[in-house]
Amino acid sequence: MIASTLHPGETPAGSRALNPVEDFHPGRDYFAARRPAFGDSSVDLVIGPLRMRLEGLSEPQAMRLEARFHPFVSAPDRVPDLTIAVRRAAVVGFLKLPAPGASETYRLESRPEGGRVAIWSYEFAGWVDPSQGCAELDLAEAEGVLFDRGLENFLRVMTASFILRRGGLLLHGSGVVRDGRAYIFFGPSGAGKTTVTRLSPRDLVLSDDLTLIVRGEGDRPMAAGIPFGMAHHRIPETNESFPIAALHRLVQSPAVKRSEIHYSQAVAEVASSLPFVMQETGQAMLAMDTVAALLRTVPVYRLEFRNDDSFWRVIEGR
Amino acid sequence: MLDRALVLTRNPGAAYRIYDGQATIVLPEQARVTVLNEVGSLVWDRIDGRRTLGEILDAVGETYEVTPEQLERDVQEFLDALREHRMVS
Repeated sequence: MIASTLHPGETPAGSRALNPVEDFHPGRDYFAARRPAFGDSSVDLVIGPLRMRLEGLSEPQAMRLEARFHPFVSAPDRVPDLTIAVRRAAVVGFLKLPAPGASETYRLESRPEGGRVAIWSYEFAGWVDPSQGCAELDLAEAEGVLFDRGLENFLRVMTASFILRRGGLLLHGSGVVRDGRAYIFFGPSGAGKTTVTRLSPRDLVLSDDLTLIVRGEGDRPMAAGIPFGMAHHRIPETNESFPIAALHRLVQSPAVKRSEIHYSQAVAEVASSLPFVMQETGQAMLAMDTVAALLRTVPVYRLEFRNDDSFWRVIEGR
Repeated sequence: MLDRALVLTRNPGAAYRIYDGQATIVLPEQARVTVLNEVGSLVWDRIDGRRTLGEILDAVGETYEVTPEQLERDVQEFLDALREHRMVS
C-alpha cells in the first residue's frame, strides 16, 4: 500500500450511501473492460512544462473544470504529454471510506501491470502508461466532492510522476513569491505551511500545500503552483513560475531564527517531503538524484518561526 | 560476539545514494528516508551480499581509530537497528 499523509481521508458529507461495504481492489479484468465516457468534451491543463488533456468529460464537467482550474487551462493547440480518458466507474466506490469523523491516512494503492501502473483509492481507479503518455481515470461520481477529490488526487499523482521525468519535483510545501523570488516552506502536516501563507497577505501565494519545482531557462530552478488544491486549499492566481530564493524546513518555535541544514540531511528532508514518488525504488532513486542536483544551487534552511510575520525579517536579513 | 563469516544483504527495494560521505536511504515499502553517519555509511556501502562481516569490520578499523572491542559493539548495535527496520537481512 502507498501511504501518503497529504490529505486525511475524511468522509465527505452525504457520501455514505456510495461507500462500498468493503475494499474493492480492481484487477486486470476490471481495467480490461470498456466503460462509458461522461461525454465528448475535453480540457487541456498546462502545469509548468507539462500538458495534460482530460478527455471523455460531459460539457458541464468541462465547464466547471475550466472555471476551477483557470488560469491553468489552455487551448488544445499542442500535443499533450499525457492524455487521460475519464470514465464512469463500474462500481459505487473502490476503497471503503473511513467512518464519519474518523481520521485515517489517505489510502492510495498501486500495482505495476506490465508497462502500466494501476492506481486506486476511495473514489477513483485508473492506470497510466508513462511511456505511451496515456491514462484512464474511472470516477465513482459524475459531480460533487467525490468527483473533485478523485480527479484531483489522480492528477496530483500524475503531476508528481511526470514532472520527475522532466527533471522537476512536486514538493509537499507552500510557495510564496516576494519581490519576484519564490520562497518555499516545507515540512510534515502541521509544520505551518498554510500558516506562513496566511502571514504573508501582501505576497503572491503559489500554493499552501503542493509546490512545483521546475527547471527554467539556463536550468535555473523555478517554482510554480498547481491548481489541484481541492476545497480546503487555495488555487493559485497564476501559472507563472518564479526563480527560487531558498527552501525552508519549518519548525514551530517561540524563537525566530534560521540555520543551514547539512547537505545530506537537507537532501533527506526534501526527499521525505515528496509525495507519491518515493514508493518505488527506481522512481525514489531518480527523485533523490533530482533533489541532490537541485540543492547544489538552492540553499535549504531550518526556519524556526512563531505565529507572526517576524520570520520574514530573518529571511530577508533585516 | 559478531560472526565474522556472516554475509549480509541489503533490502533489494532500498534506494540509496551517498552524499558527502553520508548514505541517504529510502525504503519504498515504508516511504522512509534515513541518513547514516559516516561510519554507518561505510558499513552500509560494503554490505553487498559478498563481503563478510569480518571484511567490513577490518575496512572500518583501517579507516577509523577505534579499539576492536568498541568497533564490534558499535557495528553490532548498528546492524541490529538496520535489521529492525528491515534494511538488511
